[in-house]
Amino acid sequence: MKLTLNWLREFVDLPEEADGIATVLAGLGFKAESVESLPLEFSNVAVARVKDLRPHPDADRIRVVDIDTGSGDVTVVCGAWNFEAGAVVAYAPPGSVLAGGLAVGEKEIRGVNSPGMIASERELGLSDEHEGILVLDDATPLGVDLGELVGLPDVVFDLEVNPNRPDCMSVLGIARELAAFYGRELREPTVGLIDAPGGPSVTVGDGCKRFVARRVSGVTVGSSPPLMQNRLRAAGVRPISNVVDATNYAMLELGHPTHAFDAEALGDTIVVRLAKPGETLRTLDGVDRDLDTADIVVADVTSARAIGGVMGGEDSEVGPATTEVIVEAAYFHPGSVMRTATRHGLRSEASARFQRGMDPNAARRAADRVAQLLVANAGGTAGGVTDAYPTPVEPRQIDLPLSEIERVTGKGFSESDVRGILEPLGFAVDGSDPLSVTVPTRRVDVDRAIDFVEEIARFHGYDNFGSRVAVGPGYGLPSQERRYRQLRDSMVSAGYFETTSFSFIGQEDLDGLGLPDDDARRSAIHVSNPLRAEEAVMRTTLLPGLLKATAANLSRRIDSVALFETGKVFLPGGEIPDQPESLAFVAAGLTGAGWFDDGRQRDAMDAMGVVERLATDMGMAGLELRAASPPAMHPGRSAEVVVGGEVIGVIGELHPRVASVFDIEARVTAGELRIDVLLEDQLPFTFTEASPYPPVIFDLAFDLPDDAAAALVVATARSAAPELIERIEIFDIFRGAPLDEGRKSLAMRVILRAGDRTLTDDEVTPVRQGMSEEVAAAHDGRLRSG
Amino acid sequence: MSEDLQQQLADLAVNGAELVSAAATLEELAGAEAETIGKRSLVSKARRSLGSVDEAQRPALGRLINEVTETLSRQIAAKRLRLETEGDAERLATEALDMTLPGRVPSRGTHHLITTALEEITDIFVSMGYDVAAGPEAETTWYNFTALNIGPDHPARAETDTIYLDYGPPGEILLRTHTSPMQARYMQEHPPPVHVVVPGRVFRQEDVDPTHSPVFHQLEGLAVADGITFGDLRGTLETFAKRYFGKDRTVRFLPSYFPFTEPSAEMLVSCFACDGSGCRVCAHEGWIEMLGCGMVHPAVFEAVGYDPAAVTGFAFGLGVDRFAMVRHGLTDLRHLFAGDVRVLGQFR
Repeated sequence: MKLTLNWLREFVDLPEEADGIATVLAGLGFKAESVESLPLEFSNVAVARVKDLRPHPDADRIRVVDIDTGSGDVTVVCGAWNFEAGAVVAYAPPGSVLAGGLAVGEKEIRGVNSPGMIASERELGLSDEHEGILVLDDATPLGVDLGELVGLPDVVFDLEVNPNRPDCMSVLGIARELAAFYGRELREPTVGLIDAPGGPSVTVGDGCKRFVARRVSGVTVGSSPPLMQNRLRAAGVRPISNVVDATNYAMLELGHPTHAFDAEALGDTIVVRLAKPGETLRTLDGVDRDLDTADIVVADVTSARAIGGVMGGEDSEVGPATTEVIVEAAYFHPGSVMRTATRHGLRSEASARFQRGMDPNAARRAADRVAQLLVANAGGTAGGVTDAYPTPVEPRQIDLPLSEIERVTGKGFSESDVRGILEPLGFAVDGSDPLSVTVPTRRVDVDRAIDFVEEIARFHGYDNFGSRVAVGPGYGLPSQERRYRQLRDSMVSAGYFETTSFSFIGQEDLDGLGLPDDDARRSAIHVSNPLRAEEAVMRTTLLPGLLKATAANLSRRIDSVALFETGKVFLPGGEIPDQPESLAFVAAGLTGAGWFDDGRQRDAMDAMGVVERLATDMGMAGLELRAASPPAMHPGRSAEVVVGGEVIGVIGELHPRVASVFDIEARVTAGELRIDVLLEDQLPFTFTEASPYPPVIFDLAFDLPDDAAAALVVATARSAAPELIERIEIFDIFRGAPLDEGRKSLAMRVILRAGDRTLTDDEVTPVRQGMSEEVAAAHDGRLRSG
Repeated sequence: MSEDLQQQLADLAVNGAELVSAAATLEELAGAEAETIGKRSLVSKARRSLGSVDEAQRPALGRLINEVTETLSRQIAAKRLRLETEGDAERLATEALDMTLPGRVPSRGTHHLITTALEEITDIFVSMGYDVAAGPEAETTWYNFTALNIGPDHPARAETDTIYLDYGPPGEILLRTHTSPMQARYMQEHPPPVHVVVPGRVFRQEDVDPTHSPVFHQLEGLAVADGITFGDLRGTLETFAKRYFGKDRTVRFLPSYFPFTEPSAEMLVSCFACDGSGCRVCAHEGWIEMLGCGMVHPAVFEAVGYDPAAVTGFAFGLGVDRFAMVRHGLTDLRHLFAGDVRVLGQFR
């Protein structure tokens, strides 16, 4: 919210300059996003009246003007046409300075001498208006310094007002805080209008606790005084007319929104009610609105004329011809205004205030303030007032035990400390301990004792309390978190870069993966209010995000990409969706390339290796890989990851068709695992003594059918002497001559070692023989060498 | 013992050393070795004749023989290594590499900046004895709003601010807008006292631009016990700020507003880049907005079944993405979600 320093000073004497005040306001919870000075860009410009004017003898587009400066007459030349004799204008005599440092002199214009000039708003630095000169109110006294008249120089504060403090969305509200802080008196505005009969008939209903309607007659619509216009501009409000400006000025000053109707258009009967089915209204912004039956409207006998607390209607708008005005100041229900404003996508200064909560008891003063301004600035006469307020809102009383303040802040405050803080803010404090505090109705944020604690803390100063560290019992990093870190470390050490993507994907991403209709990942939960189609459903797999990132990297000519992501996927569950943790990785392009090596394309074996590494790092001895052909994956180059008999994921190569859908032409290795089981604590490993005895190493090569699974062959070999086999390594596989079609050679290196002795030939020979025979028998094989 | 033999051994030590030193080839060295400590050498002969030496003199003579032998052996071995090494030089010269070429760097990825930041912040609180918890991202409106004293008409509930899911009753399940729902879940599962932080992903209805994202990350903290005060909030968070941004940092607390804390505050930390004098990092303020915090609102305690008369507590929440960006000079949030390896590679 923007307001100016001079405006604040109308309500309170401030002992500091702008920067000091900004610091105080920040300490009270009103941080200034900016503090800008509004300089007086001109000097020695004064008010003058046009006495007479006539065409320039030698030029069509300019005129010669006689003006009365209040202390003598002067004749100048002027190119503007927006005034006639009698107009009150800003005269810049020779020696004065205009905006931009322009020095005004005496000069001859086409043969006519012009000592000084009549200035436009732009020349004065007041606004960008330069179509004509600045024309002031007729009643402005001549000779007055224009700087004084427009209230410059000044300073604009742009303050953050927390949403629980609608009472501070005004100059008065901020002035009250400052008055309390500095211990100065707050000059509450006096609006001396009295009740007068003859107001319109008003009926209030749902959502409207109070509706004040004040009649003002005989107004002449024109422009507001420069000071008012200046302050409105400083506050970010565009001056429109003396009538509309009066409602805005009163709102900024006192905080309560008001509205001015053209009384002739509105008529004499006002009904505040909910909109009827099918009712419509064209609002001030020119948009036709289909009203909802929950919208509060201000209506005449037949139809809606304004949306209560949000925006007026176009057909009762005050226009240039308006002479009779009805000023509205009402109280509308915060939730109702918020819902209406949201429903219509229509936020206004008024709705922003009503939805946070206004003070119903401030409505009358607001209406009268507008009337007062209309009398002063638009020549109006205040007329009858109707104040429909069937059930006045009473201030609440809340108990405040003094101990509560110390319990929460750690610092004790006496009764007089508390009174010293609360009373200047308008709270009435009675009793001793507990204190009985009466809360002004504008303070919608205060409804229990803790709220006083905040008031006391704010005015005591947050930085003036003690400081100590609250230490917990300290059991260290929980194991699930620790294991999650191990898992990411494992992926990083395997050469993968961690990335992160949004948790929503598009339906077409699931189509792109080629998932069958009954795949669980098809049961994606829809976002009710997605901003974009590609973010329409919650991700059931992390692969689309990784594939898109991979494609983007490849398109930037990066020839090796390896990415992983961990995070939640979302599937139908119980009261809330199931949200298991998932790990996915995608890699494409070369690995190991450099000046020393051409590198090689990654393939499914790289994916296998990543998971084998992961299993080792995570101590998952029971993790198995099983050949499979799951959806989205290459049918011959994929495996399922199995833990405890349960499939937790798939790895291998992406189906080339799927890769192509995601704009990747390279071979893509990929995998995705549900990692909750990997995050469970594992038993510590059990130490096995390392044998001091030498190994016996021999190689065996088998001629086997093409489809013999290596893991099964090795398992058979191992079964020949499980207690002696330290490990078996596959070191060569080939097909083709001299083997028959449909056969392959698989060569393995067997390392035998005993823990308690050096193995002898007598022990090794039967093992070797048994191993050869069992593999040959079990896998339709034949020993080629060994 | 014969004075003579002693003298001969002493001479051998000197002459033998010279002989070894003079050997220019491995062959010459072999000759020197045979001559000084070989089977026919003086020491070998002396050792063989040791049995015939007077018993009283035997130990001293034996020590002398060993000493001379060992010294010469070591000199010969050292000389041999030097001659062999000289012989290698020519062959090794043919194996020379251009040592200005890039090395074979073991392949390694990086952790994401957000992960690192969350872990680092989490660890600071773990070192202060806090537990770490995680919770659901798809959450009920009760946990996300109601339990946190955010009323039914609060604007944050609007579809313009919050992402809702088509799941369960309409408007009931949402993507959590902050990590604060875990305050309620954690308190429901743990009796006081509690000390916990919750790192996690949160969501708001935002269009993507350099400073806005519908997905971002927060870390929530909560300490509740009998006797926790605003002073604990100040001291704990100041300690955290100094641990994360440096011990010379100072902090300020300004009043703020959150429905679930009262009093509510915002903590600012003096700019680590300019030490508070004003620079681009802190938008010339000298201070960086670090986090929101406050004393847990009694309504939250009531919602989770704690007695607000028996316990007090503080809570805080910080936006990790912005934090990490400020620290490392990133100016566009979109980098965090794009997966560009040229960006990820910098996250060391």
